[in-house]
Amino acid sequence: MMTWLSARRAVVALVAIASLYVLAAEVGHGRLPDRIWMGAHYVENVQLLPTWRSLVEEGTFLIESNILLDSIAVSTRRVALGLLLGSAAGILLGLLTGSASRLASLADPWVTFFRFTPALALLPLYVVWFGYGESSKVLLIATNVAVITFLGAHHGVCGVPRVYLDAAASLGANGWQRFQKVTLPAAFPSIFASIRVAAGLAWVTIVVAELINAQMPSLGYLLALAGAYPRVPTMLIGLATVGALVLVFDLLALLLHAWGTRWMERAA
Amino acid sequence: MVSLLALIGSYTLTARLLSRPDILPTTEEIAEALGALLGRGVQLTAGGEHAHHHHPSSAQMETLLQEGVTLQGALAVTAGRVLFGLGVGVPLGIVLGLLMGSSRRADDYLHPIYILARSVPPLALITYIMLWLGHSEAHRLIPIVYAVAVTMVIPTYHGARDVAGKYVEAARALGARGRRLLLEILLPAAGPAMLGGLRYALAIAWMTAVGAEMLMAENGMGNLLVGGGMWSSRLQTRSDPAVIIVGILALAAAGWAMDAGVKIAGARLTRWAR
Repeated sequence: MMTWLSARRAVVALVAIASLYVLAAEVGHGRLPDRIWMGAHYVENVQLLPTWRSLVEEGTFLIESNILLDSIAVSTRRVALGLLLGSAAGILLGLLTGSASRLASLADPWVTFFRFTPALALLPLYVVWFGYGESSKVLLIATNVAVITFLGAHHGVCGVPRVYLDAAASLGANGWQRFQKVTLPAAFPSIFASIRVAAGLAWVTIVVAELINAQMPSLGYLLALAGAYPRVPTMLIGLATVGALVLVFDLLALLLHAWGTRWMERAA
Repeated sequence: MVSLLALIGSYTLTARLLSRPDILPTTEEIAEALGALLGRGVQLTAGGEHAHHHHPSSAQMETLLQEGVTLQGALAVTAGRVLFGLGVGVPLGIVLGLLMGSSRRADDYLHPIYILARSVPPLALITYIMLWLGHSEAHRLIPIVYAVAVTMVIPTYHGARDVAGKYVEAARALGARGRRLLLEILLPAAGPAMLGGLRYALAIAWMTAVGAEMLMAENGMGNLLVGGGMWSSRLQTRSDPAVIIVGILALAAAGWAMDAGVKIAGARLTRWAR
């Protein structure tokens, strides 16, 4: 998609946005209120729009003290684990129910139920079931991911044209060969598209999930702490970090998609 | 219908076999919690002589009943936020998507910015919005609007660029301009893709609304799920799984109903496509 866009115009747009921010911060510096009512009390020295100098200062502090890198490592590990577990479970189930129509009717009410349950609503239940530790965070992400990849795999398998399977059968392919050589590759685009969506949602989930038994090296808690003090430079750097990680995961998912569907003809 | 009964049956059986009501409440307990949350708790908050001697089954239930929280009330509040988010976010996303999908130049400039904006989880914005606008309804609504708008852009964009592109070119060659081009060619051709996006945005809106309410709200379903109070104190009260399950079921039902509504309305609107 990026090659389709003009790189020069993209750079112009991004530079324009960045300079607009720097300008707004310089103009706002000293003019915006720095004393803010926080519901119960005033807080002093709030920089609503931190200048680039204070952003750089805060950034170097967060990096030098290892806070940022540790947080990235911990949160990324949770998201990656949840993604792996969730997509493995979701894709396996989806392939099963997609190929065996009897299983589909059995799984149907559960799928409808999970599909319309906002995944974050499961958070308090998971705390009761799995405790405050690591497992409830990872499992919450995994559940979220599993539902989406399940739907992707299920619809991918159901969407394989009957003709392909019949053709393979008449050429003498047995059941396993048909699944491996026809169904699976044909379902790949749908499966990988769902992984891409799931990767984005996993990061939405972690921001909230990391507030249970919040402990320091984690991006969710870094954001929450920055909000509690409040410390806007930290907050903006945290937001940018999460945004960058979402971008990286999205890119990885895109690469995986391209790799999984490299047998297909490319339109563009 | 049969499978729904099977679902309830298998749950009941599992809960019985496990017999750990603090982890997996029995079906009767869930039904009881549902009854209490549907408004039989009103008598408790009214004070004085309780006509109904129902003792709240847990700390979470007690807090909720004291605060006068009912399931239908909380659901109405959350549904209102979801509808607001859709009402503002959907047109925003559609306008941006149409702009990017129909003009190559707008796409070149806006797409990189859109990709950056899309990468920021809406719920992470709550505290920053709160600093700007104070503790109010705004920091619950803006993340929902943001999430919905960001979700609506891509399907509209692809509908306008990939599906409608050819028709728009043809209509232009035949002399269609402005309003007519928009209303008679672009919107109908991108319609099916936009409806698909709307159904997805609906799910995202519910999730964001519940998440925002869990973090910062005194009402709504998110508040019901975590049992009232601010987040710091919410961690100390032990949650009642029966209440949570009732809340989740209600959310699933509401999400399903809205999705069915969109599906039916969408089928009517895109009748021409079949």
